[in-house]
Amino acid sequence: MIDNYVYVIVALLPLSALMLVTQTNPYNALVIRAILGAVAALVYSVLGGADVALTEALVGTMLAVTLYVIAVRSSLVMRLGILAQKPDLTEDYITEFIASLRKVIKKHHLRLELVEYPDRDSLKQALLNREIHGICDRSGTSNIDNNPVYQTTIRVHRLFEILQKEFTYPDLKISYITPPNSEDKH
Amino acid sequence: MDSILIAMILALLIPIYEAWQDDDIWQKMLAFASIATKTSIMMLVISVLRDDWSIGVVAVITLSVGEAGLMLLAHLIKRLNEA
Repeated sequence: MIDNYVYVIVALLPLSALMLVTQTNPYNALVIRAILGAVAALVYSVLGGADVALTEALVGTMLAVTLYVIAVRSSLVMRLGILAQKPDLTEDYITEFIASLRKVIKKHHLRLELVEYPDRDSLKQALLNREIHGICDRSGTSNIDNNPVYQTTIRVHRLFEILQKEFTYPDLKISYITPPNSEDKH
Repeated sequence: MDSILIAMILALLIPIYEAWQDDDIWQKMLAFASIATKTSIMMLVISVLRDDWSIGVVAVITLSVGEAGLMLLAHLIKRLNEA
């Protein structure tokens, strides 16, 4: 004999699984995965598998989700090298530029991480060594309104495509380079 | 006693719907907290109904693990938005 409520509880499992596969944002999907783990633990214990339910609760809702959040957080990131700002020189323009860049890559669930370098040579060398995904440097001022022109160089082709298509900012030049294939770093 | 459990399942559907339709990550976390607690309480009720101690022990552990997982996840997501 199986009680009627068991059927209703078991039906919650495909419902939450459907919710999980329709998510596009990876972080939202991981929170839904934790919800799926809680529902699965309930289903397993109702069906009599106490040991399976315990494992699902420990691994499914805590360990796997936590580790995956750390993994997604460190891989879905765009590292942009900039020149170190002098403390007396407060430039509003670069913060505005960074804010609008952040808005564009946020649509693709990417995070922006700024890496500061002391001078132009070390900035370029870091890009060639594949330590960062792109560099941003001011290369003079525009003739029309004296705003600084930012020269952005990207070495990841997909990032370059995204920025070229969606990043519309006045006085901005985006270029793409392929660093020499010395070693396999990403 | 089945009617109590059916009412609990209906109450469980409210946070599931909320997690599905709201895109804000903190609303989803809130729904997760609600679901993790509700499922553990349902397991406790079932263990009392069936007089099965092993399910009861699992329910108590799930209750505390759900809260711990929620706190870990909340700290990670909070630091994500700061950086």
